[in-house]
Amino acid sequence: MLRRSLLVMLSVALVAAFSLTVLASSEDGVLVFGATGELRTLDPHVSVDNNAWRAIYYCYDRLVEFKLGTTELVPGLATSWDIADDGLTYTFHLREGIKFIDGTPFNAEAVKFNFDRLFAMGLAPAGTFGFVDKVEVVDDYAVNFVLKEAFIPGISSFATDQGCIVSPGVMEHDVAGDWGQDWLAEHSAGTGPFFVDEWTHGVRVVLARNDSYWGEPAKLEKVSIRYIPEAADLRMLLETGEVDIGEKLTVDQIEAMKGTSGITVFEAPSFCCHYVYMNCQRPYLNDVRVRQAISYAVNYDGIINDLWRGTATQMRGPIPVGLVGHDENVFQYQQDLEKARELLADAGYPGGGFTLKIMHAPVIPEWRPMALVIQEGLAEIGIKLEIESYAWATLRDKLNTGDFDMSHGYWTPDYADADMFTWYWFYSQNWGLAGNRSWYKNVVMDKLVTQSRIEVDPDKRLALFQGIQWISVGDAAYLYLLQANYQIVMRDWVKGYVYNPMLLNMPNFPGMYIEK
Amino acid sequence: MIIPIVLGVLSITFLISHIVPGDAAQLMAGPRATPEIIERIRRESGLDRPLYVQFGMYISELFKGDLGKSILTRRPVLADIVDYFPATFELTTVAMLFTVIVGIPLGIISAVHKDKILDQLSRLGSVIGVSMPIFWLGLLLMLFFYVRLGILPGPGRITGEPPAHITGLFILDSVLTGNWRALVDSLSHLVMPAFVLGYAVLARVVRMMRSSMLDVFSQDYIQTARAKGLREGSVIRKHALRNALIPTLTVIGLSYGELLGGAVATELIFAWPGMAHYVVGSMRTLDFPAVMGVTLVIALVYILVNLLVDISYAFIDPRIRY
Repeated sequence: MLRRSLLVMLSVALVAAFSLTVLASSEDGVLVFGATGELRTLDPHVSVDNNAWRAIYYCYDRLVEFKLGTTELVPGLATSWDIADDGLTYTFHLREGIKFIDGTPFNAEAVKFNFDRLFAMGLAPAGTFGFVDKVEVVDDYAVNFVLKEAFIPGISSFATDQGCIVSPGVMEHDVAGDWGQDWLAEHSAGTGPFFVDEWTHGVRVVLARNDSYWGEPAKLEKVSIRYIPEAADLRMLLETGEVDIGEKLTVDQIEAMKGTSGITVFEAPSFCCHYVYMNCQRPYLNDVRVRQAISYAVNYDGIINDLWRGTATQMRGPIPVGLVGHDENVFQYQQDLEKARELLADAGYPGGGFTLKIMHAPVIPEWRPMALVIQEGLAEIGIKLEIESYAWATLRDKLNTGDFDMSHGYWTPDYADADMFTWYWFYSQNWGLAGNRSWYKNVVMDKLVTQSRIEVDPDKRLALFQGIQWISVGDAAYLYLLQANYQIVMRDWVKGYVYNPMLLNMPNFPGMYIEK
Repeated sequence: MIIPIVLGVLSITFLISHIVPGDAAQLMAGPRATPEIIERIRRESGLDRPLYVQFGMYISELFKGDLGKSILTRRPVLADIVDYFPATFELTTVAMLFTVIVGIPLGIISAVHKDKILDQLSRLGSVIGVSMPIFWLGLLLMLFFYVRLGILPGPGRITGEPPAHITGLFILDSVLTGNWRALVDSLSHLVMPAFVLGYAVLARVVRMMRSSMLDVFSQDYIQTARAKGLREGSVIRKHALRNALIPTLTVIGLSYGELLGGAVATELIFAWPGMAHYVVGSMRTLDFPAVMGVTLVIALVYILVNLLVDISYAFIDPRIRY
């Protein structure tokens, strides 16, 4: 009797299992994107997270846009813009006859509303526009941004996700003066080629094509962004074709998938830089010769070719390759233990003989093995390096209070300007999390990085950046390790993908399509 | 009893989440926020107040039914839990049903065929279940049944459209809306994760059932039943089973907490959109209203399940009355 009922149960389970094979496979016109990170909110004035930006970005337009595949700026909702001679005012001339998806007309008032909302809410994205003093409506289709002080790189901020123009119609959903935050966290209200059709938390976000889009309509009918937290699962789904394109996989997984038929691995240098902060306020590290010695002791080739399997490029100073201002000729450290030992002896530590600590967080799995390689290099010159692992929050707290010797870190730019890698990293007012995580101070450098923000003449700016790069390498406040390659895996049937280093993790959905 | 337990759990969680070094306001504000923005967030979230004031504020809001706002999502924690909890609840409940439906008969078979081949096999299976890591088993099953054979679906809770939202429990919602495609879809997605999650607990249920059956078999009233000529099946079902069931049920009730905990690993490996991701993400960013909310819900569910187990004793054993 018991055995019989067990048999029945087992067969029912098997039948249910077999019936699965008939389940629908993905339809054409729908792109399934697999993401290992989940978004938390869809409000562009709240989020500073690439996983959210992926869903948000194409539901909106911005005053200026990045030209497809480049960091060059082209007209968006603004047809043109002028920067006043004193650099203190940006004037945008707006496109006419555009409506938001909720029917609200787009005009100068709408633009002003966005920045009022951004600043009133005062959350992280507002920081991107910290240089704006006020926004003035000139007429229906012209708007002035008055800046606190001249800030040349600021124009590029308008093309980032934080510059998304939201419909003033969200105020219909205002609850207790929240500027419609609760509502916009779950919906979209833009002028863009897509809109948010569905969000099942923890499962997927579905973007649907905006058929009344003012520009060239998207080729895809829908984009379904599925949340797949485990990279091993994402790999399986890509291999079976249930997911068309996805990130992030580990270097090992991508290596293994490179030969798989039907799968394309796209790879290009990104602006994501992994480097090590050397706290210039700490004993030993406050001596530039010690920092230079450490810079000479690291086995860069080992890190890049063995750990990263060649999917990265060694940095040459702070400004990454691909960004205007990068100097091809700036000095690049290579492992030279003799030179390192000389420098240490010069600094009064012949044979080293002291101990330093380096922090990392397991969130970035590559950091620990990188720390081991650095440890090995420093051991060669007599410096003992202790590796400490901290939770992300703790690590950041220590960075902010300067309670560390050395720490792993990475940086990606918010706007497409070398300023992101110079003023933030070296200005002495930015000590801590703000960006100067080496707690470094050099009065000449302070002058150069502030001057580069207000210099209107492009050639003069380039000269300033050149100076900054040479000084920064000499002062060796950071270990300039590597610029990671961006990698994304997709099925061969995914067409039209164009990479933009400024829109990392945000593929150009409007131009993509499926051809099976 | 419920209130002191819940309060105790909450205060411990609160303390732990506040002792951890790290600045929640800074994390919320993001990497490039200005000090003014960070200060403002700190003030608005009450993070600048003394710890006991924050705890007091939390508890008084809690009694009004407000779990607070998640620091990270800026949504009410309750809304987040309503989104994520059903998936976890569905998974753990199905896993528990699996351990009951499979574990109890297996335990009985083991006891009846003590030391024979069936018993040995079931014990071997149990030992394997206890010693196999969820991550490894889950991946292996998926590689075999999804990638290789293609008879079971891959990671996730559903492949096609989710059923219309009523309770958030996909099985129930599919039945309520008569959406049979979604029902088959979500049921088939449950097979592997529920098996993996339940397997470890299954072993314990089988062994408990087996030993309590053996214990009961040695009692006089079983000998009496056999002596008066009852068929063996009838002896097992009518006389032995009910008496042996009570210790097993207790074990199952206590294991439910373990299932809720084990669900974290299972959910991660099967891309199951439950509390695991929410709570892991919240801990990483020190989003303590979220961590507290999840702790509260898990404590409540655990207490509730054990209460149900206690009540069920009365049905199984009429001598027990409350």
